[in-house]
Amino acid sequence: MRVKHQAFLYALSLLMGLALWELYARALPGIVLAPPSSVVVRMAHGLLSGELSLALLASLGALVLGYALAILVGVPLGFLIGRSKRAAEMVEPMMNAIYAVPPVAFVPFIIIWFGLFFEARVALVFLMAIFEIVVAVSAGAGSLDPGLIDVGRSFGAGRRKMLRSVVLPAALPFVFAALRLGLVRAINGMITAELFFAAVNLGKVMKDAASRFDTAGLLAVILLLCILGLLTQEGLKALEPRLMPWHIRERQS
Amino acid sequence: MSSTWINRIVGILAALAIWELAGRMMGDALFAPLSSVLREFYAMLFDGQVVAELLASLRQMLFGLVLACLVGMPLGVLMGRSQLADVLLHPWLSMFIVTSVAALVPLLILLLGTGFWFRVAVVFIASVWYITLTAYQGARGLEPRWIDVGRSFGAGGLRRFWKIVLPGLYPFLLAGVRIGLVHAIRAMVVAEMFVIVGFGGLIHTAGLAVSSAPILALLTLLMIVGVLANALLKLAARHVAPWHELRTSEPLRH
Repeated sequence: MRVKHQAFLYALSLLMGLALWELYARALPGIVLAPPSSVVVRMAHGLLSGELSLALLASLGALVLGYALAILVGVPLGFLIGRSKRAAEMVEPMMNAIYAVPPVAFVPFIIIWFGLFFEARVALVFLMAIFEIVVAVSAGAGSLDPGLIDVGRSFGAGRRKMLRSVVLPAALPFVFAALRLGLVRAINGMITAELFFAAVNLGKVMKDAASRFDTAGLLAVILLLCILGLLTQEGLKALEPRLMPWHIRERQS
Repeated sequence: MSSTWINRIVGILAALAIWELAGRMMGDALFAPLSSVLREFYAMLFDGQVVAELLASLRQMLFGLVLACLVGMPLGVLMGRSQLADVLLHPWLSMFIVTSVAALVPLLILLLGTGFWFRVAVVFIASVWYITLTAYQGARGLEPRWIDVGRSFGAGGLRRFWKIVLPGLYPFLLAGVRIGLVHAIRAMVVAEMFVIVGFGGLIHTAGLAVSSAPILALLTLLMIVGVLANALLKLAARHVAPWHELRTSEPLRH
């Protein structure tokens, strides 16, 4: 009942916002800001005709590869930094310093190294996702319940056994949080790369729309990316209880 | 000196040494070594043009960030204290937070042009949601007991807000500014590199040079600004809410 109530209010809020936007857009002269109705129509049309759907599919290649690489490097690195005080102290100043530089600022540098196409896009996705993942995993791995470690130690678990049977399962919730944060940044990196390197796929659709002063076309891509972001977030959230029932049980008790 | 500081210094020195060695092996075109970047950096500092551009860009960024604080902080507190506001606003918050700022840039150019307001808008949109979210988390997690104590001592609603709620929120509001600042600097560079003006424009142009030393020098400058601003805000947090020290000492996020 309560959940239904909340879902109703969510829907109401979205509808109210869209109605406001619709009224505002219609009140503006000419085609300054497209109303949501034409954005949705444009997105549906783009998806069905293949203009948007094919571009999205092509975009996903760089996203998946860059994100996968960021996980492969970022998760072990995060564990290393989180579990060793010394490693954390040695690496943290550099991490903070590099983190302070906006990833887009590396664009000219990535062009020197990887050119303007697929490799460059993968590199930017990787760069934008990895820091989020390392920071979140190391924070999680560093804040494990010491009681768990002690139990493992008193049962005589060696370093490897401890990592596999105690540290990894206990840190998995943090890893998931890291994957979610990293994915938002990776999608971010994907579209940033397509706009800042050679304009291809969704980035090309956006640039073409912009050159025609077509705000409906621009907003259709933005809406599509927003839906992609929300769906993947919810997907990862739904996966969580299946992969680690112990975490959910703990939270409920 | 504590072992923490020894480890930190060793880490920094090792990273700098690796930079120098890697730079010498790869050459200026691919990855300029520390020594040539430092030379470039000094030249840049005394040149004046770069610093002037940076200050002008930062001024515009600050304008957007202050606007974002003025809107985001009350909004977050409202959402944290009122369930109706939370339910009504949360879907929008989640939607905007996953939206890429770079994707909004072409749209904002059509709506606002490429001048002052465009850059302010990009910074505002990039940072306001994170500031809102942090204030929201703070307002939600406020100890009900504190407010009860105020009530039992006869403090009225307004007085309770100024004397209990607001001080309880300080650490979160400051953390919000810190997180917002990271996003604001990112957004500033995205906006400026897209239309090739200001400091972001300098980065874009430096990317076309034969040597990678100029661009690395610019990135170093940006890095110093970011780290300094972050340290200053942390110091402010310690000053305003010393009791909160332990809870905010986690590494910088978002």
